[in-house]
Amino acid sequence: MVDTSAITLSENRAVERARIRKERVRSSLIDLIVTLGTIMIALLIGFIVTLAVGKEPIKAYTALLTGPLSQVNRLGNWIQDATTLILIGLSVSIAFQARQFNLGAEGSLLVGALTAAVVALYVPLPPVLGIVVPLLAAMTAGFLVALIPGWMKAYLNANEVVSTLMINAIIANLYQYLLINFLTPEGDNVRRSALLPATSAFPLLADIFNANLGRANLAIVLVLIAVIAVWVLMRRTSFGYEVRMIGANEKFARYGGINTRRVIMLSFAIGGAVAAIGGVHLALGVHNRLILGISAGLGFEGIVVAMLARNNPLLVPITGLFYSYLRIGGDIMERTASVGAEIVQVIQAVIILLITAQFVIEFVRARRNTSGTSSSRTAAVSDATAVPSEQSRRNI
Amino acid sequence: MESVLQVIFSAVFVSTILRVSTPLILPALGGLIAELGGVPNIALEGMMLTAACAGVLVSAYTQSEWLGLLAGVLLAEIMALILGFFHLNLKADIILVGLALNILASGATIFVVYLLTGDKGSSSKLVSLQMPTVDIPFIKDIPVLGEILSGQNLLTYVAFIATGLVWLFLYRTRPGIHVRAVGENPDAARSVGINVTAMRYLALLMSGFLAALGGIHLSMGYVKFFQRDMTAGRGFIALAAVYLGAKHPVGTLIAAVVFGAADALSIQLGNLKIPSQLVQMIPYVVTVASLILYAVVRKRQAAARQRKFQQASL
Repeated sequence: MVDTSAITLSENRAVERARIRKERVRSSLIDLIVTLGTIMIALLIGFIVTLAVGKEPIKAYTALLTGPLSQVNRLGNWIQDATTLILIGLSVSIAFQARQFNLGAEGSLLVGALTAAVVALYVPLPPVLGIVVPLLAAMTAGFLVALIPGWMKAYLNANEVVSTLMINAIIANLYQYLLINFLTPEGDNVRRSALLPATSAFPLLADIFNANLGRANLAIVLVLIAVIAVWVLMRRTSFGYEVRMIGANEKFARYGGINTRRVIMLSFAIGGAVAAIGGVHLALGVHNRLILGISAGLGFEGIVVAMLARNNPLLVPITGLFYSYLRIGGDIMERTASVGAEIVQVIQAVIILLITAQFVIEFVRARRNTSGTSSSRTAAVSDATAVPSEQSRRNI
Repeated sequence: MESVLQVIFSAVFVSTILRVSTPLILPALGGLIAELGGVPNIALEGMMLTAACAGVLVSAYTQSEWLGLLAGVLLAEIMALILGFFHLNLKADIILVGLALNILASGATIFVVYLLTGDKGSSSKLVSLQMPTVDIPFIKDIPVLGEILSGQNLLTYVAFIATGLVWLFLYRTRPGIHVRAVGENPDAARSVGINVTAMRYLALLMSGFLAALGGIHLSMGYVKFFQRDMTAGRGFIALAAVYLGAKHPVGTLIAAVVFGAADALSIQLGNLKIPSQLVQMIPYVVTVASLILYAVVRKRQAAARQRKFQQASL
């Protein structure tokens, strides 16, 4: 008797698991279709604007959509731009999963670039270590700087939007101050640091493949590692589970025994470390030195990348590649058809608006399905609550 | 050091502070109303930028500064309506919608200026107008005071008057009290028959109006051209002023003037070989420090109250 009931129970569980898996595949398919639809609508609106402007709309849009692939060096620009965007997107996605509007990626990126370049300039290092040491220093610095707004939010309940924006501004001024007053070599008319030693430069893809790939470099390996690391962290560790629980319902998470303050603070800090890698890529890979305005609002662009990917670390590389494709395409469009590259920003804004509105549609759909079987959201929640009771127990 | 003090205590400097503070005070008041209504307006920056751009373009083509002002206000209000529609009707997150509007404003203004003038940097090819300056009779003849108080741009006076009006609105009128009630506790407000959505739309529209005036002052006040991204983060500083000012109109005004003073100081000190970046950092450092201080004090008070309560119940 006891044995048979155990068998039916495990059979039931297997059936249940298969159902959840099927549900998950279906819901991610729907996600994909909806995301593609969003992008199409945004591109269409961009096209209508170009049409209204009336300056060779077809030529302009062809340049936008095919430009990055038309020449090898443009391909290089695309890879290089996407490298930074993916890293920032990953950084943003971490705290966003805990529903924390951490806008500090920009600041962490600057700190990362600054730290890496200073270490590379003043500490003589052999090859390989010449990259590893500045990288680790930059990640530490990015982590520590992002810890501040994380601590302020978690322990003092200070608004994270305001604190991260203020800290970004402090860092931007500090960066400028240090660059102009201490790092610019005497006699250099341009405000920029000296060239970094060759041992601290990421090898260029152009040299490896012997093709004109611009400044794209081996930092793409770091992107791969970062994507996998963030995915493992968010989906295969108790920390990631706790972050997502806080995102789903903070009070419930705290009630369930999660140390929400510590987790929120760390979600900021880890995001800072990832964003710092983006800064390392800019300093050691793209420019080989520090320049004024090295980041140019990349922190905000990363938000779009993360949102398009719905904060899923595995989708961030795809959306990052897509978004930087548009950015590079926009530049080419401007040069060939004299339609301003800023149309890309308009497209970007439309994408954000449509996606934020989609969250709503999903929410409404989930509430209508009170049976709780056919909506992606309820499936995800039941999935989340089913597995890790062990983990929440451990935390109590 | 002497020269620094000379700079700070000159009438020109004080007058500069008033001028530089204007495009901070106005959006900060707008941010305050939205914040108290429970709809934090991250899009202040974009609204200012849009108004600044529209004002210059319309005034250049119609040769009327008032039509320029009207166009700027109208566009900012449309943005406020979009923000409200996505957040209040579609329930989208207001921070993300605000960010989208900022990106839209930054891109669209450059796009339009480039389209009309062929220049991406600024609208300097167009002949746009300025809002009038005001000479106050009698006061303008007083030696130092006249130099400071008279002859400012109309919008500078509007900013200070608006502070009083916003205070009156929030604390002495029915809709204002309703806006604050809705921000404090929407469910409680709804239960006594207040229309939460309508009050929040009202808060966002007022916020957009004040932000637009700030934007107009930037491009049609002291200078008369539009420059790409000319708000340069003022919308966000305005937001910080709301928090630094403890979410009160007078506090917000003082905070905005403090930020303006730091800004003015960095302009003046540029000639004296003191790094302007360090001076410009001051307002941000002050804001972060005061955010921390405010939270710590509040926590202490709460703890003290709890202790008292426990003692009383024993």
